[in-house]
Amino acid sequence: MKFRTILTIIGVVIGTSSIIVMVSIGNGAQKSITDELSGIGSVTTLQVYQDLSSMGMTSMGGGKTDDKAILNDDAIKDLKKIDGVVAVTPVVNLSGGEIEVDREQYGVSLMGVDYAVLEDMRYVTTSGKKPGANDENSVILGKDVLTSFTYTGASTQLTESEVKPEDLIGQNITMTIKRTNANGEEEMKTQKLKVTGVLESTGGNEDYSIIADYNLVTELNEWQTGKKANVKKQGYSQALVTVEDSAVVNAVTTEVEAMQFTVFSMQQILDSMGSVFQMLQILLGGIGGVALLVACIGIVNTMTMSIYERTKEIGIMKVIGASISDIRNMFIAESTMIGLIGGLVGIVISLVLSLLINFIAGFFIGGEGGVTISFITPGLVIFALVFSALVGLLSGVRPAIKAANLSSLDAIRSE
Amino acid sequence: MHKDFKLGKEDINILKGINLDIEQGEMVALLGPSGSGKSTFLNVLGGLVPPTSGNIMIRDYRISEMTENELCLFRREHLGFIFQSYNLISTMTAMENVALALTFAGVKKEIRKERAIEALEVVGLVDRMGHKPSELSGGQQQRVSIARALVNHPEIILADEPTGNLDSKTSADIMEMIYRLNREENQTFVIVTHDPDTTKYCTKVIHMQDGLIESEVSQ
Ligand SMILES: Nc1ncnc2c1ncn2[C@@H]1O[C@H](COP(=O)(O)OP(=O)(O)O)[C@@H](O)[C@H]1O
Ligand SMILES: [Mg+2]
Repeated sequence: MKFRTILTIIGVVIGTSSIIVMVSIGNGAQKSITDELSGIGSVTTLQVYQDLSSMGMTSMGGGKTDDKAILNDDAIKDLKKIDGVVAVTPVVNLSGGEIEVDREQYGVSLMGVDYAVLEDMRYVTTSGKKPGANDENSVILGKDVLTSFTYTGASTQLTESEVKPEDLIGQNITMTIKRTNANGEEEMKTQKLKVTGVLESTGGNEDYSIIADYNLVTELNEWQTGKKANVKKQGYSQALVTVEDSAVVNAVTTEVEAMQFTVFSMQQILDSMGSVFQMLQILLGGIGGVALLVACIGIVNTMTMSIYERTKEIGIMKVIGASISDIRNMFIAESTMIGLIGGLVGIVISLVLSLLINFIAGFFIGGEGGVTISFITPGLVIFALVFSALVGLLSGVRPAIKAANLSSLDAIRSE
Repeated sequence: MHKDFKLGKEDINILKGINLDIEQGEMVALLGPSGSGKSTFLNVLGGLVPPTSGNIMIRDYRISEMTENELCLFRREHLGFIFQSYNLISTMTAMENVALALTFAGVKKEIRKERAIEALEVVGLVDRMGHKPSELSGGQQQRVSIARALVNHPEIILADEPTGNLDSKTSADIMEMIYRLNREENQTFVIVTHDPDTTKYCTKVIHMQDGLIESEVSQ
């Protein structure tokens, strides 16, 4: 094979492998993040908040404060009426609790939800079971509850607990909360909690919380702040809306927003991430595309040079009976081969590069089971192969037609 | 038949009215001074360049009115060419050069090889079939190009100074071979030459002068 042809093939190799690697990095980033985000429950759960911005707007505008949407029990009832909604629960949070497990102290926060609808929410327990509607003192532990801050004496540090949340199922744990009273003295209150199960990861706040009944949490909150909560006027800070399936998420979101609440869903994140990654892939693929375009020019150049060099040969072939299409096909086959070989080598190189990128990334980032920065799908491989062959073919067309139309006699006379 | 060439804006008349009949199995020598139009005539005859006016008929085929693709198909089946400068493809072996003519005719690979070897046998070069043209002498290269012209079993072989680059001993060998083929296969040969020695093998000797046939002698 001619040195020039090898150089041209290398051009195609660089072009194809840069497209593959670039797109694979986009793929990999998307894959690892969507894998991370798309817990089954979380996709069909909407987080609803009181619309903070509209509250500010109306108070600034003066008057008309009663116009703002309040996330109270009436609102919860209205939310429940929306088509496609399965369950709605207010969320009441309590932070600053401490539990002691195996002589270690863990800081915990409670997330209070309505146990009456717990059955309808898409919370899945990996082990144990969900508390019933009347098990007011029963709780479910988030998967990472014990991975949070561990208090060992005065110093705090993030350590992996030796106790698994699963080990606590069926046990009673004692939670302590503190408050400072009017005289500046610290008071303590203890609360017994019965662990019935452990929640499968949702990718949200639940992972780091203890799920409890919202009546219990409200009670503890009132003790801690010393004030009675006025839900009717102030509303809950948050509610969770569980919908039938992911298909109705957008419709429900629109309706809830029409009620002047702020909605936040995993679907929105996935949607916007999807478009971000698409942009990323187009951008990265474009860089590879430029490399391939350069390779394309290289093929045209090589083929044209090859025709000049082989003019006499073309003339001889025509004289001994090669037809116009014989000559044309010969050159197109040659340039397609350049594209195809370049594509094949490019694929092999990008597979190696992909492994290498993931290996090096894993080395720096760490994490169990390796890291996926670059992810090459079979579709990407097939696309690259077809595309590089096509680039070769198309680059060859013009030179090939030129070769086929040479006058046989002029060609045979040339040196 | 007439042939003009465009030279700049001017048309120069190279072949100025040639009228000639050649019978099947004849061996025709075309003589004449350099520039008299011998090669041009041969190329027009082989359909490599179209005539400006006039007709060329080979059997029932009107060469002068064929499209390029028709000509190419016609050449494949009915014509063989031999050139002064051999015109072999330097990157191919003798055998591949000979077989190439069959490739375009769509002959299967094994049969191509078989027939290429047969043709090389005829010219006595089977033992050199794996050699590239650069590894062969001039006479041997010309014999490869003759084998290539023969391999399709064409009725007509057009040769433009086939011995022009060869010494007199080798020239005689080549002419003997052409003569033998003409006798044995009844192939028609039109041979351009300026070596009067070669004319002794021919059935007809034509002298050209300035684009015209000056004399036509059958012998
Ligand atoms: N392609 C061409 N364009 C212009 N003039 C040509 C071309 N081919 C041949 N000629 C001219 O035609 C004349 C006859 O050439 P040629 O047939 O090669 O003569 P011969 O073979 O008898 O020496 C020459 O004067 C040559 O310059
Ligand atoms: Mg000549």
